[in-house]
Amino acid sequence: MSAPTKSPELVVDGFPPRRPRWVQLATSADHKDLGRILIAGALGFLFMAVVELLLMRLQLAVPENTFMPPVTFNRMLSLYGATAIFLFALPLALGFFYYVAPLQIGARGTALPRLGQLGAWLFIGGAAVLYATFLFTPPEVGVNPLPPLSGLAYTANNGVDAWLAACGLATLGFVLIAVDLVATLRRLRAPGMAWRRLPVFSWAAAISAWLTIAIGAVMLAAITMLMIDRNFEGIFFAGDAGGSPLLWQHLSWIFYTGAYMLILIFALGAIAEIMPALARKPLFNRNAVIGSLVAIAVLGTLAWMQNMYTAPIGLGWMYFAMVMSLALIVPFGLVLFNLIATLTSGAVRMRAPLLFAAGAIVAIVIGLVSEMSHAMVAAGWRLQHTTDSTAATHFALVGGAVFGGFAALHWWFPKMTGRTMGETLARFSFWTMAIGILLAFVPLFLAGGGKDQVIDAYEFFGGNGLDAYNLIATIGAFVLAAGIFMTLANAILSREGGQPAGHDAWGADSLEWFALSPPEPHNFDLPPDVRSARPMRDIRAAITHRSAREEQPDRDRQPVV
Amino acid sequence: MAPHSPAIDQIDTLLWIGFAAAVILGVAAIGGLLYALGRNRAERGAEPRQVTSGPGIQLRVGGALGIFAVALLVLSIVFTDRAREAPATGPAGLQTAHGEPLTIETTGQQWLWRYQYPNEAFSYYRLVVPVDTEVRLNLVSTDVVHTWDVPDLAAKTDAVPGKTHEIVFRADEEGTYFGQAATLSGQAYAAMRTAVEVVSPAEYEAFVETQKEEIQTAQDRVVKLIENGEVP
Repeated sequence: MSAPTKSPELVVDGFPPRRPRWVQLATSADHKDLGRILIAGALGFLFMAVVELLLMRLQLAVPENTFMPPVTFNRMLSLYGATAIFLFALPLALGFFYYVAPLQIGARGTALPRLGQLGAWLFIGGAAVLYATFLFTPPEVGVNPLPPLSGLAYTANNGVDAWLAACGLATLGFVLIAVDLVATLRRLRAPGMAWRRLPVFSWAAAISAWLTIAIGAVMLAAITMLMIDRNFEGIFFAGDAGGSPLLWQHLSWIFYTGAYMLILIFALGAIAEIMPALARKPLFNRNAVIGSLVAIAVLGTLAWMQNMYTAPIGLGWMYFAMVMSLALIVPFGLVLFNLIATLTSGAVRMRAPLLFAAGAIVAIVIGLVSEMSHAMVAAGWRLQHTTDSTAATHFALVGGAVFGGFAALHWWFPKMTGRTMGETLARFSFWTMAIGILLAFVPLFLAGGGKDQVIDAYEFFGGNGLDAYNLIATIGAFVLAAGIFMTLANAILSREGGQPAGHDAWGADSLEWFALSPPEPHNFDLPPDVRSARPMRDIRAAITHRSAREEQPDRDRQPVV
Repeated sequence: MAPHSPAIDQIDTLLWIGFAAAVILGVAAIGGLLYALGRNRAERGAEPRQVTSGPGIQLRVGGALGIFAVALLVLSIVFTDRAREAPATGPAGLQTAHGEPLTIETTGQQWLWRYQYPNEAFSYYRLVVPVDTEVRLNLVSTDVVHTWDVPDLAAKTDAVPGKTHEIVFRADEEGTYFGQAATLSGQAYAAMRTAVEVVSPAEYEAFVETQKEEIQTAQDRVVKLIENGEVP
């Protein structure tokens, strides 16, 4: 198809040469490519977060350890916090939403693809800024950089500025992706895909997108103010000049508390897809689950002052936070009740996604029932700022983002790659992680709740009965890390070497399983026609019905449209 | 751990209530999940049963959870209010004029606690208070946020620059109680500890007098050195 010679009007140049795959990926505005970038980036930073956690746990293995100097520990702590939240948990959740939700609603793409592309690359830019600090000074003021410590007067190096730039870029990216998700979910649903028929995971995407826009704006404001304080002589957080250090605490805790809820909404949304499909049952009561997820987003974020019980705020505000926090018992309880009721009346196939989903629920429950005591004001005075809160937060968030994220990964991996992840390695990984999380964090409950070991400290002192707890926690962290690395390896190996999965890998009811695996760039040849909340089941029934009529000649493979 | 102040007594009770509530909800949720997962395995030939849910059962489950949450809320408020009650000075305590609490100005700074007593005496790291006496710490910070935390005596409380935050407690038993700052405040944060020595009122009076005299002596000596030109 080269060498034009005779009649020019018949010349065919052929298809333009394909660009190299990495150029294709780096310039793509397709939600599936960007979703894969977000998910792969997030899993890469999960690896980094685990390494940083292990280094900190090594320092805390024995009392008065001198494995690393205090400033290095504080740097690991800051990098760990920023990596785990901004570079792992949030992009993982948003990546799955961004990949899956447009497919689930039968859209051929997103509404604002270039905005989403900018968002994904801002996240990569933020990550690059954070890890470039190894070239100068990593941030060293903790998971939440509270002023005045993070102010210029007390930390006069570039680490905090880099933290602000990195988290600011990533947060801005998340907000842009969320805007695209909101626009897509509002405007590009397939004919018949009413909100009442939207899959639970797409509902979770909509809720999380709105939540990201709300809390992301708050965090961006806080980050901008601290940047002004540090670089342009601002006084937003200067207590002696008319500002207030408490302002940062309020703004940042609104973001962190909302992000906590977002991660749990993501995990529960994914689990609410996995459990019904692998139990061959529709969700016990869809509306109650969706309503509960909305309530979790609203009530959970309004409970931000739960993290400020020791701060000089009025007791009334603490009671307000406690009311919001304890009210969460109802929506979380209802989601769990409906998931369990779905399993109880179903026929359970114990595949890897369900295993991780069950592990996620157990870990989230342990984390949340422990957080409950932190919300009860006087008990919170004792438990907060101890390793008890480390343990509770990690049970809930490792449960949500790692166990829940891995459940989602095993579930949608066949759709993304056309191949299933290795089941045996998945089982090994799961049980190692399950033992690891218990060993790593149950001792911290005992050390914090029982013996008041304080949070974030680079050493603890011998003779206080803390030695055994910390040693076990360190061993447990290594076991947990081994389990996590097994799944990361499994994902890498299965991309090329997994069992071919087919297009409809699990027999689930939502529309992403109607597309090819991996989906074509335009997702669907024709927009599917949705007649119920279980469109894929309708399609399967229609295909069966049509195949049964033998006189019917073969036609297009999309028979119901 | 035996409680050593009235407030901690209440906090400990509330902690047990929280623990019991956590066990009840945790066992119910995890137990229900494991039961459901084990019961109907497809490989053992279980078939999905058509069970539909009306709003009735959701309202009942939600209502039960709501009652549980309200009960926890009421208990929390009751015990929090009790923990905040100002504990009156007992007969064995230091008797002040008009029954005022013994007020000690407490300053957090990187990475020390400074305690200033009513008679101008002050001490670092070590706080000496009389037993069975209502003590009020006026907590401030000169630099970054610190959290004062002696878990056997009082609730954790932040010292924030630009604000005064109050801690009121009464120690019921003589002895030494250790504490550690609980908000990351920089490099030497882990070493920012404190010890509260609870002594008899007489010993307390003696301590603050001696401390005041020693500080005065030291300051006089410094003034003399400066006057003599031995230090610039």
